[in-house]
This record gives sequence, structure tokens and C-alpha cells, in this order.
Amino acid sequence: MNLMLHAPSQLEKVAFMALAAGVLGFALVTVTRKSAVGALMALVGAFCALAGLYATLSAHFLAVLQILVYAGAIMVLFIFAVMIMNRDEDNPIALRGLFLRATGVIATGYVFYRAAWIVVRERQTDVLSTASTLPIPDYGTVASVGRILFTDFLFPFEAISLLLLAAVVGGVLLSRPSRPSDGGGAI
Amino acid sequence: MFSRLLMIPLVPLLGAAYLILFGRRHSRAAVQTIATLAVFASCVISTDAFFFGLRDSAHGGGISELVYSWFSAGNVVVDLSLRMDALSGLLCLVVTFIGTLIHVYSAGYMAHEEDYPRFFAYLNLFCGAMLILVLGDSLPVVFIGWEGVGLASYLLIGFWYKEHANASAGKKAFITNRIGDFGFLIGMFLLFRATGTLDIPAILDSAKSGGVLAAPLWLGQPVAFWAGVFLFLGAAGKSAQIPLYVWLPDAMAGPTPVSALIHAATMVTAGVYLVARMSAVYMLAPAALAIVAIVGALTALFAAIIGFAQNDFKKVLAYSTVSQLGFMFVGVGTGNFAGCIFHLFTHAFFKAGLFLCAGSVMHAMSGSGDITKMGGLAARLPWTTRVFQICWLAICGVPIFSGFFSKDAILDGAFATEIYGHGLTWVGPLVGGLLLLAAFGTAFYMSRLYFLVFSGPCRADEHVEHHIHESPASMVFPLVVLAAGAVLAGFAGIPPAIRELFGKYGESTMAVWLEPAVGAPLEVSHRTEWLVMGFATVVALGGIGLAYVFFGGGYRAPARAFAKKMPGLVALARDKFRVDELYAAIIIRPLQALCRIVFLVIDRIVIDKILIGGWAFLADLGGRICRFVQVGDVQRYLAVFAIGFAVLVWVAARPAAPDVQIVIEGNNVAVQLVDAEADGGNLTYGFDFDGDGTPDRMGPTPLARWIYGGPDRYTITITIRDERWHTQRTIKRDIEIR
Amino acid sequence: MPGYLYILVSLALFFIGTTGVLLRRNALFVLMSLELQLGAGSLALLTFARGLGDQKGHVVAFFLMALAAAEAAVGLAVVVSVYRTNKTIDLDGVNELRN
Repeated sequence: MNLMLHAPSQLEKVAFMALAAGVLGFALVTVTRKSAVGALMALVGAFCALAGLYATLSAHFLAVLQILVYAGAIMVLFIFAVMIMNRDEDNPIALRGLFLRATGVIATGYVFYRAAWIVVRERQTDVLSTASTLPIPDYGTVASVGRILFTDFLFPFEAISLLLLAAVVGGVLLSRPSRPSDGGGAI
Repeated sequence: MFSRLLMIPLVPLLGAAYLILFGRRHSRAAVQTIATLAVFASCVISTDAFFFGLRDSAHGGGISELVYSWFSAGNVVVDLSLRMDALSGLLCLVVTFIGTLIHVYSAGYMAHEEDYPRFFAYLNLFCGAMLILVLGDSLPVVFIGWEGVGLASYLLIGFWYKEHANASAGKKAFITNRIGDFGFLIGMFLLFRATGTLDIPAILDSAKSGGVLAAPLWLGQPVAFWAGVFLFLGAAGKSAQIPLYVWLPDAMAGPTPVSALIHAATMVTAGVYLVARMSAVYMLAPAALAIVAIVGALTALFAAIIGFAQNDFKKVLAYSTVSQLGFMFVGVGTGNFAGCIFHLFTHAFFKAGLFLCAGSVMHAMSGSGDITKMGGLAARLPWTTRVFQICWLAICGVPIFSGFFSKDAILDGAFATEIYGHGLTWVGPLVGGLLLLAAFGTAFYMSRLYFLVFSGPCRADEHVEHHIHESPASMVFPLVVLAAGAVLAGFAGIPPAIRELFGKYGESTMAVWLEPAVGAPLEVSHRTEWLVMGFATVVALGGIGLAYVFFGGGYRAPARAFAKKMPGLVALARDKFRVDELYAAIIIRPLQALCRIVFLVIDRIVIDKILIGGWAFLADLGGRICRFVQVGDVQRYLAVFAIGFAVLVWVAARPAAPDVQIVIEGNNVAVQLVDAEADGGNLTYGFDFDGDGTPDRMGPTPLARWIYGGPDRYTITITIRDERWHTQRTIKRDIEIR
Repeated sequence: MPGYLYILVSLALFFIGTTGVLLRRNALFVLMSLELQLGAGSLALLTFARGLGDQKGHVVAFFLMALAAAEAAVGLAVVVSVYRTNKTIDLDGVNELRN
């Protein structure tokens, strides 16, 4: 039933609750804000809470990366974009084809319901209830994950750098001023 | 593969194809040579096949060849096979020989024609098609040739298509023929239905043994009767008998060589050939033959009367052709097949000769055919005059010339026939009498033609008269050959009575030749023969005499007096009894009106507005609806994606549909669900038997039993729940307890 | 903590993200919600990795992170570019894909 052979300690329970509540709460805020900046801040909070959740899962390397990359770099990107085009929303929900999209949301909810049902029913199965003792002492640490990255997954690791290069080039190209007479663009 | 018989029609057809494609590249001399050689080659092969091939063949069977296995559908096997026996061989000879002469003549006649290659190509096409018709060994093959000559005739009549009248004449010919073709097809179908085959030898054998074709079909008449009548309808179209003759006079709009070849010697005889070919079938139905004979006789007389008052050279000859064809049909109609073919043979020579003389005269008269403005041409056109005289005497039936013998053969047959049974014995003498009248008429109008054109002073205009000259050698040569034929051909059919005078007993040469194909010739007593010969000669000389009185040396007093006294009659004859106008009123105008209505209603409204516009509207509507999807809005796309995904999940999560087996024994019902993929214990089955909404049996087993109270209709509701996915499926079945 | 709870959190987070992607009008908000969805996916990956004792899930989550970064960069560049031509990033008005 549990990830642990022993019942979760009080601290662990509280930590999980708080972090889970944080993630979901911040996410809700993000989606419902009218102002872009506010939404961004909530998003940052969501990422931080998410990083905490990763930590409780012994995925330390990824937790740190989450803060660094997501809450750090990506959010900075977003803030720059928002600052360029800062406009508050009058009505945040797009109106065209609303019926269709609302139905889409409900459909997603249905899928969520089905999946949740299965998960809850199957919570006794192995994959969701393994011993909490770490399979290897340095599970989820930088060294351990790094070792895998540089041995089994070396090629994708290098390929990702190509992808990032492409993203950089694409980003630069797309945001260049289109006409020389445009005076350098809005930035 | 290249067998002898196939070459006979094939060479002209190849010539036609070559000339159509490449004719323009060659000089006139080359074109003419190619075309003439093609037909001449055909003539040579035919001669060889006829005289040597037939001798070697099995008695009476002739030579036959399977050229190509065409198709077989069910029980029908239709092959492209050709057969030459006495009948078809004779016609091959006639077609190719006269065809060659006409090609030579055309070289001179059409010398100024721009579209030279096209003309010769069409001529070759015609010859090829006619030969297929004649040599065909099964009815579909004959029909191919039939249609082919119809096509060639249309093309050639309307050769100078830029004149509207010519194109109309071609159209008229084609359409009138088509009506006849309808009859041909019906006849063909009837024969096929009765005998199960379309091969001519097979059909003829079936006819000779009676049986199937003699069985009654309708109105108490046998199959052979109806087939014969319908086939005759086709023949009437092709061979210009009442009521389908109206195209032939109009066909004179085409070039004169065309008239000579097609509308005198060959194509129009196709109908006669058909009836003669199917002789065995007709012999089973004397009533059909009676109809043929009567129609033929009436046509002969009717056309002759019209010929009395025609003022165009070629039109006179056209009606003469119709009339002579009537003679031939009387021949077949009285069971006198040999006599009829004999007349066909001689007629080919002298009629073609007459037409070519017409061409010569018109050539001399700068293209005009108006005989009211001719006269006195005998001095200026010596060769043409000689030839015309010979052919004229032949067609009048003056003794020694060929027409005398062939007409007599037909008249003998009419008076002496015994094929009509009960109730129809009057037919023979009746048609014989009508033919004698027609022969008188023939002599009269042909003599009128001769006198008005060749004798007396010239009535032409100054400048036309100036240009009158004899035709070039290329035109005169065929004329002479045909004249010779007009004289000599008759000797192939000398009747027995005369033969005896020379110490040769038995039937005429022609009858002997044709016997294997058309059966034994009629028995005619010598007394009848001499009587007929006498009457015919009297009639012929009388006709010529009367014409001389009226027209000798130009329009004489009696002619003018007659025209004054009976202007109505003369006008009626000249206007061909207004038959064309009659047809126009009762057939053509109503049809045109109907077409107009159909066009306006169906074409404009139904097709254009409803069908086309309707589909366009629907397509537009569909497009508009579909356009809603293509909004370019990613969020909407994603929404649809999500909905689709949800649907998939829903479908996948349901329990699989099982196979429901219900066994009813009395009041006991056992329901068994057979599921290909049993889900390993996760499914719960609920069975509701009494329809109260709550399951009466529930559990993990797909099997349930129930006992009903009494006979009635019940609905069993089966619910399958999947606990894992928390989904369920409901199945309803209706059963009846008896 | 019981693993299924983490999965439930991941599902819920994904659902919230989908709501934002489908319903918001501003393109930036859509991108932000997209990030939420990616985060939910990573969470599920890591949960199962922990449950199975396998670190491959970590590696995949790592790559996912890199991808998200690249995608965010390019996506924002596109949004900026669209803003420049249309002076708006209101998705109600911007539907160039149609024509």
C-alpha cells in the first residue's frame, strides 16, 4: 500500500500534504488570474512546490534542476515576454467556440476520472507500493543520474544539445525585426 | 491467320484506313491507284476463291473460315467467321468487280475534287463493309457489315457536307436505315430465342428440319414468320422498299459514282441478300413471303409511277432502282431465290452503267441533271449514248439483253410459284400482274428519259451547250465494260425453255450455281415460260412505243396535252405522292415537338436545376459545414482531440461484447455468455429476467438460468460490470416462450 | 507516502493545465498552462521511477525539462513576433491558420 515498509511519519505526511496543496493551489491561481504577472508568480510558486514533491520522491537531482531551469530560466523568459506585452485581460476566457472547448475540458475531466478510479483501485499493486528503502544508496543523486546519462543515454544527451542549439537559433530568428525600416523592433 | 477469305474484306478496309491517315501526303494518282488496287485485289481473291475454292469444298457447304473467336456469354458463342458459298461468292464478285470499275471511273469524275483521298477512303470503306456483310457467317457479323455500309453510305451521301442539303440527305438515309435496323435486330433476337444460336448455317439447318422455328409464336404464326417479317423490315430499310424508301431519292445528292456503286448495285441489294440468305427460314412461313412479295410488287409499281414525272436525271434512276428492287423482292417473295439473285446480278450491271452515264451526261452539262434542259446529246456524246442505249434496252426487258432474261425469271416465278398454301394462292398471279404493269412503267419512264436526253434538238442554254463534250477515257472505259456486262450477264440465266432449243437440258447456269445455297429453283412449265416471255416483250415494246409517242425527240404534243388535261396527276407523280410531306407531318413533327418538350422540361428543369444545381447546392452545403472545423484555432483542435481521446477511453474501458446464447426448453431459459476475452475475474454479470429493473441473478459467472411462469414475450437484460474500470455494458434480448 | 496519491496529484495538475490551455484567451497563459502539463507528466514519471527503483525515469524527466525549455523559448519568440505584426496576442483575433 505504501512506498514505505513502515507507516509514513507525521513529518512526511504533512510535507506531502502541504506540497501537494501548494502545487495544485498555485496551479489553479495561475490558470485563473487576470493579470499576467500575478499568474507568473503563482507559476513560480507551483514549480517550487513541485520541486519539493520531487524531493520527497528522492529525485534530488531533478528537484534542483526544476528550480534552476523552470523556476529560474524559463520563468525569466516568461517575465521578459510579459513585460514586453503587458496587457491585463478584461475577460480571460476566450469566447469563440467556447462550447466546443468546454466540452473538451469535460472530456478531459472524464479521462481524469477514469484514470483516477483505476489508480485508486489498483493502489495495492507493486508499482505503486514498493519498499521505501532506496534501491541504491545514491538513488536520484547527481552522480547516480549523471552516470546513467553519460553511459546509457549518452547519445540523447548530446542530441539534446543540438535541440537546444536549434531552439536558440529559432528564437533569435523569430524575434528579429522583420523589416529593416522598423527601427529595431519593440525591444 | 491471314486466310484467304479474310483478305477479301480486309484489303479494302486497310486501304481505307491508310488513305484516311496518310492520303493527303500522296498525289492524286497514287491515291487512286492505292484504292483501286485494293478493291481489285479483293476482286482477284474473290474470283479465285469462287471458282477454285468452291469447287474443292464440300458440296454445298462452301468455304468457311473462323477468323477470330469474338465473345461468348453464357450459352452464346459468337465468332467472327466468314463463309463463301455460291450466294455470297457471287455477290462478292459483283461487289468487287463493279467496285473496281467505279474506282476507275471516279478517278476521272472526281478529278477536280479537293478532298480526293477522303472520297477514295470512304469508297474502300464501303467495299470492305459490304464484303463483311456478304461473307458473314453469323448474324452479328452480317450486322457489322450492315451497319458499316450504312455508315459508309452516310459519309458518302454527305460527302460535300458543306452544302446543308447534302448533309441532310445523309442524315435521312442513316435514320431511315436505323429504323430498318431495329427490325433486323428484332428478327435476330427472335431467331436466337428459338434456336439458341446466331450462326447462319446452324439456323438454316434448324429451319430445314422444321421444329423450333415452326413453332407458333404469336397470332398463330410461327417464329419463322415473325422473324422473317422483322428481318424484312430491316431489308426494306436497306433496300428502299415501302415504307422506308424515302432516303434513296435524296441520296442522289452524293457524287454520282457513289450513287452508281452503293445505291444501284450493292448496298441496296443487301436487303435482298439477307432475305435470300435466310431462305430456309422464310420457306417455313409462306405468309411472310407473301408479305414480302406484295410489298415488293407495290413498291415496284409505285416507284415506277413516280418515275414518270421526275425531271432530274438521277432521280429517275433512283426511283428506277427502288422499282427494280421491288422486282427482286417479288422474286424472293415467291420463293424464286435463284431468279431474284439473277436479277440482282444483271441489274448491277445495267443500273451501274446507267448511273455512270448519268455522271457522264452531267459532267458534259456542267453539273446539271435537269432533263428538261437536255436533248440531242446523242451526237455530242457518242460513247455515252451507246452505253446508255444498251443499258436502257436491258432495263426495259428487250429480248437478248440481260434484263429480259432476269425479269422473265422473276415473272416466271411469280406466276408459277406453288409455295403459298391455303388461302394465299392468289398472291402469285397478283404480284405477277402488278409486275407486268411495273415493267410497262419501267419501259415507259426509261424511254422517256432516253428520248428527252439524247434525242431531238438540244434545249440547253447557250453557254452550257457550248461545253458539251464526251468524257475522258477513264470514265468511258468502265462504261463500256458495264455495257458489255449488261449484254452478256443475261446469258448466265437463260431459262430452260430456250436452253432446250439449243439442245441443253436442265436449269439455267445461274440456278445451278446457286442451288447449293438457296435451294432448288422453281419448276416452271415451258408453257408458262413462253407466255411470260411473250407478255414481257409486248409490255416492253409497248412502253417504249408509248414513250416515243409522248417524248420522241423532245416534248411532243401528246405529252403537253396530257399535262394540260391532268395537271393534278402529273404534279402528284412529280411530287412523289407527297410521301415525304406525309412522313414529316405524322412522324417527324410530332417527334420534334416531343423532343422540344423533353428538352425544356427534362433538360432545363430536371437536369440543370434539380440534378446539377441540387448536387452543387449539396456540395456547397457540405463544404460550409465542414468549414466549421477548419478554423485555424488550435484550442478548438485540441478540444476535439481531447473529446476524441475521451471517446476512445470510453470505448476501451467497456467490457467486451460477448456472444449471447439463449437456450429455451419449455419454460426454462438458460443464458450463456461466451466472451472471447474473459477479463480474469473482474467482471460481474447481472441478469434481469422479469423486467423489473433489478437483477435476479448476479455473480461472476456468465451463466444464468430462470424459469418463467407462462408463455409470453419477455425481455432479458444483461449487465456486465467491470469493477476495475468502473464501467458497464447493457445488453437486451427479446425472447418468446410458447 | 503512498504512490497513488502522487499519481492523483499528477492527474489533477494535468487537468488544471488542460483547462488553462483550452480556455484561456491570452497566448501567454496558454503557454504557461502548457508548462504545468509538462510538470504533471514529469511528476508521474518520477513516481513510477521511484516505485520501480529505476532511474531511467529521472533521465527522461531530465530530457523533458530540456525540451520544455527549448519549447518555451521558441514559443515565446513566436508570440512576440505575432504581437509585433498584430499588436495583439488575443487568440480570439489571431487565427491566421485559417487562411
